[in-house]
Amino acid sequence: MKHGARPDYVLRQAWLLLRGSPWLAGVSALTIALALTLVGLFASVMFNAGHLMHELGQSLTLSVYLHDTASAEEVTAVRQKLEAHAGIKKVRALTREQDRDRNKRLLSPELLQGLDEASIPGQPVLEVDIDAELASRGDVDALVKWTGALRGVQSVEDVEFGAEKLRLLFAMVEIARTIGIVLSGVLLASAMFFVFSTVRLAVFSRRDEIEIQTLVGATPGFVRLPFLVEGALQGLAGAAIAATLLGLLHLELRGLVRDVYMLNVSWSLLPPGMIAWLVIGGPAVGLAASALSVGRYLKV
Amino acid sequence: MIQLYHVHKRYTNGTDALVDVTLRVREGEFVFLTGPSGAGKSTLLRLLMVMERATDGQILIGGRNIHVLRDASIPFLRRNIGMVFQDFRLIPRRTVYENVAIALEIMGLGPKEIERRVTQLLDGLRMMHRAQAFPGDLSAGEQQRVAIARALVNEPAILLADEPTGNLDPELGHDILQLLIDVGRRGTTVLVATHDHGLVERYGMRTLVLGRGQLLEDRPRQLGARITAETGLNPLAVALTESRQHAPDAPVELDIPDEVVP
Repeated sequence: MKHGARPDYVLRQAWLLLRGSPWLAGVSALTIALALTLVGLFASVMFNAGHLMHELGQSLTLSVYLHDTASAEEVTAVRQKLEAHAGIKKVRALTREQDRDRNKRLLSPELLQGLDEASIPGQPVLEVDIDAELASRGDVDALVKWTGALRGVQSVEDVEFGAEKLRLLFAMVEIARTIGIVLSGVLLASAMFFVFSTVRLAVFSRRDEIEIQTLVGATPGFVRLPFLVEGALQGLAGAAIAATLLGLLHLELRGLVRDVYMLNVSWSLLPPGMIAWLVIGGPAVGLAASALSVGRYLKV
Repeated sequence: MIQLYHVHKRYTNGTDALVDVTLRVREGEFVFLTGPSGAGKSTLLRLLMVMERATDGQILIGGRNIHVLRDASIPFLRRNIGMVFQDFRLIPRRTVYENVAIALEIMGLGPKEIERRVTQLLDGLRMMHRAQAFPGDLSAGEQQRVAIARALVNEPAILLADEPTGNLDPELGHDILQLLIDVGRRGTTVLVATHDHGLVERYGMRTLVLGRGQLLEDRPRQLGARITAETGLNPLAVALTESRQHAPDAPVELDIPDEVVP
């Protein structure tokens, strides 16, 4: 014995339910679209910030300046301490002369004019290439803490590490993430409310039909299914709009980054599979909202 | 087919709608259920459809005790019972065809099978030419024919009719009743609730008389009762015969699964 409804029948009935209140259904779909677009945008920001952090982590350098008086043994001891730490790619030791030569190359010839050799700064330094995984602000903090500990070593005069800029970047990303989560949450809740109301109206306007269906032997599932699909269809429409918007935005941004800012970004600006997740997420939001409405108002 | 043992129905406001009703309707029997308004006729039909549960007593349909039927099994019981109402209860947004087809859609039948059965039945009821009309465009008699078609299209073992002629003029009422008698002649157990004594007297079928919730009288079918239609000539009877999956004389078994996943 078959208990279920045919998919084509359910879809047709769901479509008829949508046509029963087209304006409200349209507003629901647009709200879902707006919420999902925002979720997509913030996901993109997070994704790109993550990429940026990774790139920064790979190109981080640390300069450990040593006292002029540091002996060769002390330099070796600091070097070994550095090399023993995880995430250290390479350590180069520069003598005072080598550091001075490097500074001479970095400074403009105009500045160097009239200066004698001894006035050009130079001191023994260990140049450290770091290959760090910077997935969170905690990773940066750990790095800062470690470099701070280096300052306590007797032969070390100073440690130069541009971590403050990284911390600022992480703080901005975290603020953006919080705003994104709150805004997306509010919009998703509004979208669910609209779907909930659309389905509730559909249930009320079809009370006679629901009663007749149960009298001729419809199972609760048969009666409820078109209403659930109605919600899922609104979510699907919203997801389709959001995916189109984000796709177009992605193309625009990519053109802007490449042609205007002349940057060669090696990664896609949208997280991989995000469009697919939106296409799944939209109907899921619609389905959840209609399930709440059906559960509350459709008593079979 | 239908057995009631000491059935009692008391509503929450304290009204006794049925009091110690015991009766038996055999398979294929045509029975009138009569009595004044408030006698308990509709309540009895609602109990048979499990739209309500009896307060006390036992109700057996096709040997199944519906007093202990789980909620999840109710839809499957109802697929074995067609019901016709005084106010037709058609879905105004759906065409005549769709109103009849709904009883088959819920069973998950394919479009071709649905079309075959609905077309055959509407043909038999001389309603095929109105298949695409909406209930609001039909006369009262036509609407009741559509309601009967919906009740019969999935070949139920039992047909219940609650005041089926109540909204019709006498001529149309006679036509509808004749239709129901034809249905009974094809082996379906038919129970017709009516307060119209004239109608009951006219046909002389077995009659159960209710009064204040009690079964007052069980009048047997009179000899020479009016059965005008000949099975082989009536178009509805032909349609029902052709659409039936089982032989009319075969014992009817209700198709209610024991265990139903809700």
